[in-house]
Amino acid sequence: MKIRSISILAMVFLLVGVVLPATADAREQVVRVALKASDIRSLDPDYGTTTIDYACIDPMFNALVRFKPGDMDPEKIQPDLAEGWNVSPDGLVWTFYLRKGVKFHKGYGELTAEDVKFSLEKAANKETSGFAKDFDALEKVEVIDKYTVRLTFKEHIPSVLGLLTDYHGGYIVCKKAVEEIGLEKFKTNPIGTGPFMLKEYFPKQKLVEVRHDEYFRGRPLLDKVEFWFMPDASSREMAFRKGEIDICEGEREQVWVDKMRKVPGTVVDIFGPGETLTLHFNTSKKPFDDIQVRKALAYAISREELMDFLGKDVTEPLVSPIPTSYLGGITDVALYAFDSEKAKAFLKEAGLEKGFTFKKVITEMSDYRRPMEQIQAQLRRTGVDMKMDVITHSAYHGQIRKDVNPVVLYICARFPTADSILSQFYHSKSIVATPTGITNFSHYNKIDDLIEQAGRETRIEKQKALWANAQRKILEDAVAYPLCITKFVFCQEELCGSRVRNEVDPDSGRYH
Amino acid sequence: MFQYTIRRTLLIIPTLWAVVTVVFFLIRIVPGGPAVAALGTYATEEQIRTLEHQMGLDKPVVVQYVTFLADLCRGSLGKSLITQRPVAKEIAQALPYTIDLTVAGMVLGILMGVPIGIFCALNRNKTPDYLGRVGSLVGISMPEFYLGILLMYVFAVKLDLFPVIGGGDLRDWGSRLYHLVLPAFTLGIVMTAFISRMTRSSMLNVIGEDYVRTARAKGVSERMVIYKHALRNALIPTTTVIGLYAGILMGGSVLTEIVYSRPGLGKMMVFAVKDRDYMTLQTVIVIFSAAVFFLNLVTDLLYALIDPRIEYH
Repeated sequence: MKIRSISILAMVFLLVGVVLPATADAREQVVRVALKASDIRSLDPDYGTTTIDYACIDPMFNALVRFKPGDMDPEKIQPDLAEGWNVSPDGLVWTFYLRKGVKFHKGYGELTAEDVKFSLEKAANKETSGFAKDFDALEKVEVIDKYTVRLTFKEHIPSVLGLLTDYHGGYIVCKKAVEEIGLEKFKTNPIGTGPFMLKEYFPKQKLVEVRHDEYFRGRPLLDKVEFWFMPDASSREMAFRKGEIDICEGEREQVWVDKMRKVPGTVVDIFGPGETLTLHFNTSKKPFDDIQVRKALAYAISREELMDFLGKDVTEPLVSPIPTSYLGGITDVALYAFDSEKAKAFLKEAGLEKGFTFKKVITEMSDYRRPMEQIQAQLRRTGVDMKMDVITHSAYHGQIRKDVNPVVLYICARFPTADSILSQFYHSKSIVATPTGITNFSHYNKIDDLIEQAGRETRIEKQKALWANAQRKILEDAVAYPLCITKFVFCQEELCGSRVRNEVDPDSGRYH
Repeated sequence: MFQYTIRRTLLIIPTLWAVVTVVFFLIRIVPGGPAVAALGTYATEEQIRTLEHQMGLDKPVVVQYVTFLADLCRGSLGKSLITQRPVAKEIAQALPYTIDLTVAGMVLGILMGVPIGIFCALNRNKTPDYLGRVGSLVGISMPEFYLGILLMYVFAVKLDLFPVIGGGDLRDWGSRLYHLVLPAFTLGIVMTAFISRMTRSSMLNVIGEDYVRTARAKGVSERMVIYKHALRNALIPTTTVIGLYAGILMGGSVLTEIVYSRPGLGKMMVFAVKDRDYMTLQTVIVIFSAAVFFLNLVTDLLYALIDPRIEYH
């Protein structure tokens, strides 16, 4: 009854607010979203890694479990394609019971355990997935019956539900579709079970999704969602002001936020968990192999100044490598509060009283370049001259993985547990320019045992304690300097926001 | 003339080969590669190497070059290293929009630039001439992307006359033209500035010639003097500028396509450079080179039409 009455309200709202004034799309409920990107990478959920990929992929797929809509807390993960599950006493065998009658897009039939087995094995295969490494602990996936699937793990991992949720590698694809279309074509012709399905993809321009009438949570209210790829900020803003775009990704700058707040009928949404900005000091390159130098730089940087520069509304302080919005994030750590005198004292101890000069590459992308320019100015006050060569974003990511930079600024969002960041950035297996390397730019190798122990730990409080120790050690050794979190900034047409929010009941998480 | 045309057309083969070769090696010297762009930042070194192996990027560059040329001779343009879609298909989707924009921009530039240039020349050192010259200076100095944003703000956002984004439906000429107006004017205005200056300058040279004075002395009407005797000769250098500017126009289409979120080859090329999508980039540059080549050929052939004294052997 509650759902039905909210649905009726939503329809009335739509009729009043959306149908008038009449437009070419008057009878069709469409939301147009402008994204700050040139294009998607892939619609195969095992390769889509960017924010833009997710924005387009997520409406088309489901996973066995999902984050509660509107909430990134991994402790509130709820059932999605699976109605429930059992866990063996040793925690290594998980049996999932699937919903019945879940339909794939475009007449590809019902979801069964075979699709789940296929999807997870695909996600675990390095030939067919960019997230295969996350599935190293998965030993096998078995089909017990049409709606029951069993996963057996070789060892404990920090979060099984986190692995299987609607995030990296957790999405379930249609086995029949992949086998018919082929893996390559599937990257631009995805078939899932989500509330929307792909209608049209125009590279470098837009992607159009239409509603999936047989969606298991009910027919979506929206008929169509269009994702427009618009890297130019002015174009996005103009299109939004004119009404050709309903939701627009904004710039993470105070100036932009303040400007758009003044536009009538506009809601500016600034929300987390955002992305972390962290400076990594490469301990394999002089003089950053000296802890005195690293501490000197840490004391020379002012988070507050940086946040003022970027915008108070769009940033939050980050004092530990793991933000507090992540499971395991803490704040009682060594705080390198800005202290110019201390910075100079540490430099003097390191024999660099007059300062020093070093060179690094930085991407042209403003999200990276602007904070780095601010830090460059701050370091100069202490006599440290950081010279920067600006290169393209793709070249930047290639170069930092080749270990060229003595200091690396990295911006990221990961699955919101401490393990995801600790494993990728601070475990020795992840050291860049090695075969297993990912993003350990600092070449840090002193907390491998803490990370591995926490990964195996089944008691959450003990796990958190181990993660806390790891964070403190990182900061004691000053191998990284957490700067701040930059939140996501979107603006939306006032009525559109209400339409989209009315899609999902926040308590049940059900679509109407 | 026919033989000349054939000979010039055949020259496109070595020209494009040279362009492709230079681009092929140049882009591979630049740091970064498509594997990281395709896999994302979570990928391990091992995964990046695996994908590079699948893409054939771990082979010696010369081997990659020979393979690429062999595929090209077989008519295969390969697949985008990022999206894995055939490059031919992606280009086929974008090419009509670029042709629309470039042709429309050129037509507008010529239709506006030539009359303005004539008008300025005939009103030399009077107010219309000064206005024309200042206007052309502003047009030449104005970056296309800035002009595009200005036009968008005034005519699309404030006056609500035209759309801001997109290229329209290819199957619907009305939609296509509607989405073309502002982008075409963005390119056309800049081209107008160049052409009007050139036309004015060459008209002033021609108007002072003896044969023009003779025509006037014989009582030929002013209209005939200008449009039959003077303009035809004045158009020769203007035609040169138009031919040269066609190449610049295609470069200008890149920024215009980005500002207006229009599909097109220019945008494809920019993003192919950013993502190191070698296959897409090589193919798009070949297409642009071929277009410039043929435009230059057409320009040369037009000389012969405008000036019968010019013969090609």
